[in-house]
Amino acid sequence: MSIRVESIRKRFGGFTALDDINLDISDGGLVGLLGPSGSGKTTLLRIIAGLEQPDRGRVFFNDRDVTTLDARRRRVGFVFQQYALFRHLTVADNVAFGLRMLPRGERPGRDAIRARVRELLELVQMDTMSGRYPAQLSGGQKQRVALARALALKPEVLLLDEPFGALDAKVRKELRRWLRHLHEQIDVTSLFVTHDQEEAMEVSDRVVVMSQGHIEQVGTPLQVYEQPASRFVFDFLGHINALEGRYDGHQWRDGDAYLRLDTRGACPNGDLTLYLRPHEAELARQPSDSASLPVRVAGRSVFGGTVTVELEPRGWGQGILEVEVDREAWRDLDPQRDEPLFLLPRDLQTVTCDGDLGPRVRPA
Amino acid sequence: MPRHWHQWALILAAFGAVAVLLVLPLVLIFSQAFSQGATVVAENLTSTDMISAIKLTLIVALVTVPVNLVFGVLLAWCVTRYEFRGRKLLTTLIDIPFAMSPVVAGLCYLVVYGGQSVVGQWLDDTLGLQLMFALPGMIMVTVFVTCPYVARVLIPLMQSQGTEEEEAAILLGASGWQAFWYVTLPKIRWALLYGVVLTNARAVGEFGAVSVVSGLIRGETLTLPLLIQMLNEDYNTVGAFTAAGLLAALALITLLLKTVLEWRQRHKIDAAQEVTP
Repeated sequence: MSIRVESIRKRFGGFTALDDINLDISDGGLVGLLGPSGSGKTTLLRIIAGLEQPDRGRVFFNDRDVTTLDARRRRVGFVFQQYALFRHLTVADNVAFGLRMLPRGERPGRDAIRARVRELLELVQMDTMSGRYPAQLSGGQKQRVALARALALKPEVLLLDEPFGALDAKVRKELRRWLRHLHEQIDVTSLFVTHDQEEAMEVSDRVVVMSQGHIEQVGTPLQVYEQPASRFVFDFLGHINALEGRYDGHQWRDGDAYLRLDTRGACPNGDLTLYLRPHEAELARQPSDSASLPVRVAGRSVFGGTVTVELEPRGWGQGILEVEVDREAWRDLDPQRDEPLFLLPRDLQTVTCDGDLGPRVRPA
Repeated sequence: MPRHWHQWALILAAFGAVAVLLVLPLVLIFSQAFSQGATVVAENLTSTDMISAIKLTLIVALVTVPVNLVFGVLLAWCVTRYEFRGRKLLTTLIDIPFAMSPVVAGLCYLVVYGGQSVVGQWLDDTLGLQLMFALPGMIMVTVFVTCPYVARVLIPLMQSQGTEEEEAAILLGASGWQAFWYVTLPKIRWALLYGVVLTNARAVGEFGAVSVVSGLIRGETLTLPLLIQMLNEDYNTVGAFTAAGLLAALALITLLLKTVLEWRQRHKIDAAQEVTP
């Protein structure tokens, strides 16, 4: 089932949670709503579920206007951040709840309910724990029961609020993969809320980046990462280093550091901020013709295929810069702590003086 | 287990205090009642005044408890589930019966609903209904005095439990009533029971407010606490202590009931835990 949201606005007191939101989610999609806390993503999810009423705007399921439809009649599956399992019911009774609430005519018989519950618990690999109470389950187990419960009525829309937020890193990774897999198994349109960039990138087909009640960008994970539509999106997706300095038409300078650039994005007054992603730079013992950014190694973390290096600028900038270099390159360079080095950016993102993104540039 | 002698001493002191302050008076009530033998107790128990007082007390409690059960749940629901102007004011207003002396409450009711008042006269003229110095008035003040108990127990609990489980139930197709019946009620039932026990204990034992509006008509408007006072003033010590023993026994039974119910619930949870590894 497709979901369409038209000009949704929602205020809580003086706070605008959502301001004129338009969104189209196609049938069968797995979409991540990504944004920092307070960006309105959970409110949007709750409005789609019918738990909140928008002040203005409409919600459509398959072109059917459901804006005024009661939450209990929308037939969406919903997974709460804290799972909201019924604490006084066993795992099996939690999953059976929706089936038991059906009106007499539609309600399956006892055996049919039991069979459906077993089937769902098998799907989420919780069939051995059907007699347990929620208090006796781990976070990951609760999460899966909550999912089974949400799927019991075969919803065509599945909404998940920070589904992995309360889990530890390893379980989270496992469950993410498992959710993707599950989504492929059953025919459902899924929308999940997350503040974790990595999670949104890994799980979703499409990412909706939100900030302060607005949608900043909608696109595939690759699109939003490679062609960010705004400074916020660039900023929010992964760590960035901001290099602030002045540009004279040929050269960007800040203290002892300079970069030879050709850019049309500088401010008339000469200020130019450059964004550098950690993996878009190299380290060397000598400056290049076009770049001289003297730094000192302040720390490093070797984990996986890349080495994350913390650099302290020498004679320019402020604060610590973070870059990621290939493990091989790091071994070849083999720098000592405090050894003076030079940072060689490959790609830089310019920021215009009104705060938007300018063209991407290379030192040349 | 405590390891040091002073820990044992503290525990001993606690038991000592409980014995002196709670158990000893209770034992004395029963020993005084039976001081002239069981036959006198039986005589006292079967006297018309006593039987009428027992009936009246039970009627007052039987009306008060359900009324305040429903009222308390509605109020707690209202305060914890909805955001509205004056919510804080409402939660403060619930506490009036706690803050006010019951005698004052009784007097207030007398002023508002008594024969001299506009409301009282109107009721008497149009419906021939007399509220004060009769059963309705006694029930009204008892309801007033005991109305905060259920709500006060429920509000903090329902606040801490939040509304997500109810929302989950609604999203699974439950109606508001079903969500209350299958989700909210099971979550609050022990607190509710506790509130009911408190309400009942207070309703049965209320003296001040009831004594103002009862009119103290022997055999008609005397509840057990009022009868105790009356018998004591008549120098009928055995009679007074028999009635007191009855009240005390009632209290002990409610306490026992509550403990048994709690124990059974815990037992159920433990059993469920043992089933699974």
